[in-house]
Formats: sequence, C-alpha cells, structure tokens
Amino acid sequence: MKKVILFVALLSTFAAQAQNIKFIEYDLPNGLHVILHEDHSTPIVAVTVLYHVGSKNEQVGRTGMAHFFEHLLFEGSDNIGRGEYAKYVENAGGGLNANTTQDRTFYYDLMPSNQLELGLWLESERMLHAKVENKGIETQREVVKEEKRMRYDNQPYGNLLPEALKHAYKKHPYAWSPIGSMEDLNAAKDEDFVNFYKTFYVPNNAVLSIAGDMNVEETKKLIAKYFSDIPKGTNAIPRPTVKEDINTGEVRDTIYGKDELAMIVQAYHIPAQGTPEFYAVDMLNTLLSNGESSRLNRSMVEEQQLSLYCGAFTFNLEDPGLTLAFGLTNMGVDPKTLEDGMNKEFDKVKEELITEKEFEKLRNQIESNFVSGNSTVAGIAESLANYHTYYGNANLINTEIERYMKVTREDLRNAARKYYIPENRVVLYFLNDPKLSAN
Amino acid sequence: MKFIYTLLAALLVSTAIAQPSKKTAPKQAPLDRSIVPQPAPAPKIQIGKATVNKLDNGMKVIVVENHKLPNVTYSLSLNLTPIAEGNKAGYISIAGDLLSAGTDTKTKAQIDESIDFIGGSLSTSASSVSGSCLSKHSETLLGLMQDVLLHPSFPIDELEKTRKQMISGLTSEKTDPNSVSDKIGNVVRYGARHPYGEFVTENTLNNITREDLLGYYQTYFSPSVATLVIVGDVTPEQAFAQANKYFGAWTGNAVPVRTYPAPAELKANQVAFVAMPGAVQSVIDVTYAVPLNITSSDYLAATVLNNILGGSGFQTRLMQNLREDKAYTYGAYSSMVPDDVIGNFSAGASVRNDVSDSAIVQLLFEMDRLCNEAVSAETLKSAKSIMSGAFARRLENAGTVAQFAYNISKYNLPPDYYETYLERLNAITAEDVLAAAKKYLKPNNCYISVVGNKDILDKLKPFSKNGEVMQFNTDGTVSKGIIPPPAGVSAATVVEAYYAANGGKDKFKKVKSMKQEGKMSVQGTSINIETLTFDNKMLRVEVSMGPMKLSTQIFDGTNLVMKSMGKEAPVAPADILKAKMEADFFLRDHMADFGYSLNLAGSIMRNEKEVYMLETLNEKKKVVKTEYFDKASGQLVSTYSVEEGPEGAVTSETNFKDFMTVDGMIFPKTIQINAGGQALDMTIEKITINGKVSKKAFKVD
Repeated sequence: MKKVILFVALLSTFAAQAQNIKFIEYDLPNGLHVILHEDHSTPIVAVTVLYHVGSKNEQVGRTGMAHFFEHLLFEGSDNIGRGEYAKYVENAGGGLNANTTQDRTFYYDLMPSNQLELGLWLESERMLHAKVENKGIETQREVVKEEKRMRYDNQPYGNLLPEALKHAYKKHPYAWSPIGSMEDLNAAKDEDFVNFYKTFYVPNNAVLSIAGDMNVEETKKLIAKYFSDIPKGTNAIPRPTVKEDINTGEVRDTIYGKDELAMIVQAYHIPAQGTPEFYAVDMLNTLLSNGESSRLNRSMVEEQQLSLYCGAFTFNLEDPGLTLAFGLTNMGVDPKTLEDGMNKEFDKVKEELITEKEFEKLRNQIESNFVSGNSTVAGIAESLANYHTYYGNANLINTEIERYMKVTREDLRNAARKYYIPENRVVLYFLNDPKLSAN
Repeated sequence: MKFIYTLLAALLVSTAIAQPSKKTAPKQAPLDRSIVPQPAPAPKIQIGKATVNKLDNGMKVIVVENHKLPNVTYSLSLNLTPIAEGNKAGYISIAGDLLSAGTDTKTKAQIDESIDFIGGSLSTSASSVSGSCLSKHSETLLGLMQDVLLHPSFPIDELEKTRKQMISGLTSEKTDPNSVSDKIGNVVRYGARHPYGEFVTENTLNNITREDLLGYYQTYFSPSVATLVIVGDVTPEQAFAQANKYFGAWTGNAVPVRTYPAPAELKANQVAFVAMPGAVQSVIDVTYAVPLNITSSDYLAATVLNNILGGSGFQTRLMQNLREDKAYTYGAYSSMVPDDVIGNFSAGASVRNDVSDSAIVQLLFEMDRLCNEAVSAETLKSAKSIMSGAFARRLENAGTVAQFAYNISKYNLPPDYYETYLERLNAITAEDVLAAAKKYLKPNNCYISVVGNKDILDKLKPFSKNGEVMQFNTDGTVSKGIIPPPAGVSAATVVEAYYAANGGKDKFKKVKSMKQEGKMSVQGTSINIETLTFDNKMLRVEVSMGPMKLSTQIFDGTNLVMKSMGKEAPVAPADILKAKMEADFFLRDHMADFGYSLNLAGSIMRNEKEVYMLETLNEKKKVVKTEYFDKASGQLVSTYSVEEGPEGAVTSETNFKDFMTVDGMIFPKTIQINAGGQALDMTIEKITINGKVSKKAFKVD
C-alpha cells in the first residue's frame, strides 16, 4: 500500500514539473483534423500539415513516391507559380520545410504571427490543387537523386539503415527506405504521381496543426475560409495490413564497403508503439544507451575500449518497428569480440533485475527527456499531430510519461527476455573491402 | 443539442465580424483563391531581458530568466585567442575533453553516473564547461561543474583511452567527404601552421603528454576571461547566488593573448583536390579567409550579401541556379563567417561527378555577378524579410537573448545593438551590398576545393592558374601540389632564411669580387666555365674548351659585350638587364628595380622534402622563374625558369646538390642543369673571394 502511495506521489511530481500544453481539436466536414495550441511568448506561428502517407504506403516498383512528393509539393499550385511557394513564405519572413518518414509526411511553415493567413492559404493550395506536372517532376527527380547520393551513397556507412531494414522486413513495406529506389522514380509516369496525389493528399488523410501566437477563434474562421471548400478524397486510402513474422531465426550477413572501421548492426523486432511492452523496450534502450554511464557505453567504449561508439535505439514506427543496436569498432578490434561484448550486455538485462538505484536513474532520465522535449511551437505542433495520427490521442503530449512510469523493473527484464533474443534479430557486419578504399 | 451549439457558434462568428473596424465578407460566397492574403499589422519584436553582473574574481555572469520549461542551462565559456599547437596538435581539445574525465575526488565513471542520475548533461571543451538539467536538480549539476572546473585530475589512463579513440576516429573521418572538405578548407585558407589550419594526425596525438594538458589548464582556465551564462527556470537573484556559491572562490592568472598575421591573399584561383575512393559526388567548396568580424562596419551589409548569394532558404541565387534551375545538387549554400582572428567565406554544393566543373562555373558566376551588378530592390527586400524573420524566430530560444548579451559585453557593442538590429538592417542599400561584394567576394582569388572521384581531376585543372592543382590525401596531408604559406612566412622571410643558411648576410656584404671556376662534361668533352663578379655590378663569364674560348660575356655595369666563337653577338636590352641581375648577389632584395616582383606561392613536396616556392613575376605578373628553398635548412635547392625564345618557351631547371664552405660562406658545389632536353652536371672546383682582379677584366671594347 505504501508503495502505491509513493507511486502516486511520484506521478504528481511529474505532473507538476511537465508543462501542461493546452490545445483544442476538431474535424472539418471534409475530414480534415485540426489541432490548435495558443502560445504568445514569441510572435511566430507554426502552420503545419501532416499527411498520413509515408513509404509504407508505396507499392513495390514505385518506391520513393511519398518522399518525392515532399519535393514536388513546393512546385506550386493553380494560384502559385512554379518556384513561388517558398518565395511567399520567405518574403513574408517565414521559414519552411518538410520531411518524410515511413509513416507520414510533414510540412511546416513557421510564420511571423501576422502572416498566419498567408500560411493557411499556401497550405490549402497545396492540399486542393498542387501542380503535379512534368517540368517540376523532371527537375525534382534529379534533385532527389542528388539527395540520395549525398545522404546515402556518398556517406560513411550510408547504406546502414537501408540494409538493416531490407534484412529485417521480408513482407512489410518497411523493407525499403523513404528515399526509395531511383529506378522506380525513373519508371514512374506523370499519371502515377497524379494518382498518388489524389489518393493521399486529401483532407481526410491530413492533420492541420497550428501552434503559436494566434487567437484560436480567429484562426478557426480562417481555417474554415481556406480549407472547408477542399473536397474530401474519394479514393480508398491503402494502408498495409501485412504483419511481419518475428522470431523466425537469426539473420546474419556481411556487407563490404570502403569504410575502414568495422561496424556491427543488430536489429531486433519490437512491439508496436503505444503498447505497454513498447514502453519497456524503449526504457531498456535508454538504460543501454542514454548518457556516458549507460551500459553499452560504459562497458564497450569506456571499460573494454572495444568500440568508439556503441548504443541501442528505438526505431519506433506506426507498425511494429525495431531496436537498432550499433557498435563501431575501435582500431584493431575484431568485430566478433565487440558483438560478443554487446550480447553480454543484452544478456545481463535478461538475467538480472536492475537495481532500485539504477531504476531511479532511468526514470529521472525519461522524465528529463520528456519534460524538455517540447521547447518550440513547431515541435509542439508536430508532436500534437503525431500523437493524434498514431494514437488518436493528442493529449499524450502531456500524459505519455505516465505510461513510462508504469513500467516496473520486472517489465524491463521480461521485455528483454522476450525480444532481445538471437532468433528475433538481424546481425550485419559492415566490413572494409580494401579494393574499394584504394584510389 | 448539436444544433444549438452550431447556432451559438454562428452567433459568435457574426458577433465577431460585426465589429465596426472589420469589413464583412459576404456569407457563403465562394473564395477567390487567386487573392494572396495580406499580412495583419506586424507584431512587435521584443527581445527578452538579460541581467549582467560580475563576480569579485572577474567572472561575468549573464542570466536570462525563462520559466516555460522547468529546466536550466549553465554555460561557462572562456574568451581565449586561438593557440597554434604545432607538433602536438590535438592537445588543447583533449585537455578540454578530459576536464570531465576525473577530478581529485571522482573517477570519470562516478562523474558520468552522477550526471546521468539526475537526467542531466555535462560537457566540457578547451574553452567551456556547460550543463543542463531540470531546475530541481540544479545544485547537483553545479556541484559537478564546480568540481570539474576547479579540480580536474587529467588521469593518464583517460588520456591513453582518448588518444586511442582519436586515432581510430581519424581512420573513420577519412571516408566522410564533408569532414575531409572542412579539413582541406581550413588548410588552404589559413595554412597548416595557423591555429585554424593545423590538424591532428596520429603523430601529433602521440606527442601529447599529460603535462601538456595540465599546462594548458593552468595557463588558460581563469575567471578573468570567463563568462557564465545561465538560462532557464531560475530568477536572477537565485542565479547570481549560485554563481557566487560555486564559482566565486575560483582564482586564476592573467591569460596570454596572441595575434596571428592574416593569410596572404591569392593572386589567382587555386584548385585543391582530394581523391575520394568511389565517390559519386564532388563536395565543392569555394573558399578563402576574409578580414571580417562582428564589429566590422560593413558586417551587416556582408551578411545581407551572403543571404542573397546562398545564406539560407530556397530563394538564394545559388539555390535557384544550381538546384531549381539546373538540378545539379540537393542544396547549394554560402557562408560569410566573422571571427575575432580571421573570418572566412565559403560557397559550395555536393554535386554528381559529371557536373563538377559546370557547378564550379556557376558558383563563380554567381559570385562575380554580385560584384558587378547591384541587386534589384525586390531582391534586397526579400533578403531583408528573410533576415528579419529569422531574427524573430531565433528569439523563441531564450538562449538567443543570452547570446546577445554575451556579444554586447564581449565586443563592447552599444547596449541597444540588437534592439536596433531590424532598423539597421532596413537601412542597408543595394550600394552597400555591392560595396560589400567588391570587398568580400573574390571569384578570381579563391581556393576551389573539391573532394571527389579521381576521374574528375582533369576537368578541374583549367580553374587553376598554370593548371597546377594542389592535391591532398584524405587525412589532410599533402599528396601533391602547393600548400599555401603559413601565417608569418613571406617572400622576405624566405630570402632572409636563405642568407642565414649560407653564412649570414653580413659576410656576403663584404664580398667585393668573387671568382668561380667550374667544369662540366658535354658529350665526353670537358668544358671550363669561369664566372667573375665585382662589386655586385660587373660580370664576366668565360666558357672554354681547352685553350679555345667558346664564348665570353663582359658587362661593366653599363655596357655588355657578348662573343661566341670569337664573333660578337648582338645585344638586346633584355640581355643587359639579365647581366645586371646576374651580377647582383642581393638581387632578391630589390627585384622592383628590375621590374620584377617576388611572390611566395607556398610550399610543395619535392624529393620527400617540403620546399618553399618563391616566384619571380614580371611586370605582367607572369611567373618567369621559380626558386625552391628547403623549408628546414633555408637553402636554395633548385630553380625553374621559363624564357620566351623564338621557338616558343624554353624551360630550364637547375638543382644545387653538394655544398662547400669558403671563408665562412656556403656555396653550391654541384650544379645540375636541365635545359633544352639535356642534363649537364657542373662542378665548381674553386671559389676565390676578394682576390686580385685586373681592371682589364671588365673592359668591353
């Protein structure tokens, strides 16, 4: 009983420390979900739109489409000339960009607060009738190829994530990365792009999330003005239903490249985000990797000096994602020695219950990360949209920490025993091929 | 029920739009989407308040109170001039890292454990100690910061661990084209001896001792140069009390200040290339050092200029040209970085291999265009909007206000410097931007650094003067080509070092006459060469084979006679000038008298030795001769010259090999000459200083 009281007391401490982010939300008749958070501390407002489309909505043979749209939708609309989208925002003193993941595409305009209406007009134009035309497609195809060369092909270990995903997913579309394949992009016809736009870029597949220096009532009116006449999408929105099999046996592979230090990557299948087990796994990764005193860093980097960098991270996705563990070998270290060392740390969390003291540290770290997480209006707008889209509960921005605080020491050990086992993982060695690193 | 809410909402809406000041839009009218919404009245940009104070020990404290989140950041930084580390490059940054790797009472593991226990962060560098945490844990954090600042122990095993990690890190950096590009940019801009240009190698890391770290800490960590910035969930009163409690007892000495000569400006464009195995893109960086700092009167104009060229966003000239128009790249950017010692300019992009040269052309074109054409009113307005917007957005971060206060205090700026920023920005004219462009953009005096596939090298040569490309290895060391001279080394210092290497200038000044008798073998025949100089003004050269005189050259200081096989040869004014120069041992001290100038091009690896390249330029600034001086000894080791002859340019190379000492002065003994496809070795058999010289020797008729 005493324990329970203590626990409740702890919870209220968290409630007291975390900022309480107030917001309102509603749907327009066309299905557009709207979230508004008012904050007058700086005269700026983040106008953001999340489209619930990412690389997992793509078809085999047409990968890279979602990310390609992230580029294409800056090209203009019926009322915005080619190349003028950014001009409107920047000349108004705003900043803009977008990003694409496996699960969603997120656009944002960070405007001076007196330019809120311009931001809404721009985003509504993008949603209603963006220019999906040959000229823009051809230009952006080349730009995206350069992006792929820069971010992947010309980067040290640039193929790491694509290879990990390819090996971990045999059925699910998480097998490919958002950047997709350049052959697919080359093969895509103009009408493929138009169909993609008509299917996914519709109000009933979007969240308009606005945070910052604005008045909620005024903003609601402006939203109605610009977004209410956008018709609801009529195409069915395809979402993958396929479930990846887990615990199917360890997959091992070696990939040769020009990087000289060997890198080990382990990918473990983990439960879907939002489930109690997911929080346990995420906390395990914090225990293993957050801070200099974290277990993998302390043992592999500091004490045994086998590695330059070692950690395990939650790659959380809408459908079940992965824990990705990395180990970059120190000079002259056999990658197998490092892998054995990492596995010992995984075994330890399976065998021994963590101490009360370490558990307290872990909870402190989770609290600190959670509380410090929402420091900008753009970040708040994005978190609200994410929580709504993935969990149907935007208020998790304030309360998700409670789910972490429910995790017990036993839960941690149980999650490790269930998920951090060889049958549930991919192990990749990235090794040097001297032929590739010679001129 | 729902009906009532809808009705209520409609009522509320009509109330709101019935305000007298507002125009009523006709209800339900279709929206004319072609109308671009106009902005509401501009919001007032308010810069938060910073409180500045000073502790008794001289440490400044800046506090910005912000309770939005329950956390607080403490950043203690030292205002130091950079230090050249020489053959121990890396020791300063290791000293910084190791501050938090052990104290008199705590091991690194204990420090790490304590900071992670409160979910905070702590980081140290060669000029800072900073940390952040939830405000409820701030006393724990400050205790740790105090301990690492005042009682670091620099454990030897932590040094060894870091050394090993850094050596591994060097291996890993070599395959990152952006790291390599940054490194080469620094080397070419500042020279490998400047604190900004020197870099860490396995050798320099192996030279570092624990005493180096301690020495650095004891000399430079002092409250007299420290500022503590506190931002977050804390009141100024609490913050100052904390500063006093944890850092008030800290003492230290006055800290040495250093200055560095500015790197020499390039005479022409120079390509620097690094071959990156398997590269599918070239990382291009057009760069050079610029004398720009925050207090420069045209700093703001230069910033506007950079924003138009490639500062940030999609509308810049580089982005529009290289990405949106030509699709060469994912992004093209430029930067104009002010710095207390020396600033830098940089413009570049990552582009696919086969457009590397085209991309360079466009980068230089856009720089050149800004130097020649004033920007339009629209362009200027848009750049100002972008900058004002960015300024306002930065204020969302409370740390920005602290940064402003820090700059005002460090640079002694007017207290309203940032309050008047938007006003000053607005006052910048197209003429100001043009003037800044002419001053700071150097499309014809820049380094063009390219990290890319070896196959593109040939395409880069035309961008360099003489087609010479400086080539570097991926670890930053020179593989081929010219390294720019380090700061403090000039043509004059190289020439002085040369005199010193040969016995000193004073000794040579006492030389009145000098006779050199040499011998060489041409196709089996022995030829004698006798050279006589007098008073640095007269010259006589006699070439003979046995008793037969092949040629004679007599110069009396004014007139010249040249005889070949007994016949007089015509004398051109250029021959007289050449004779004058040859007679003059101190020629390099007064090149201008002859219409020439000296230029120190830099250094180069030659026969596994680093040598300085001293160029002789004619009036048209064309290189006619290049002399190579050994960097270590100062000695002249070879010369390379180009002479325009009737059948085109004739090049000749002379190498000086063995040396001999005569009356305390050093002279070359073996002179190897490669000219017109022939290689000849001349041996100097005898040198006579201040011997008897007959006046007849220089009689010209």
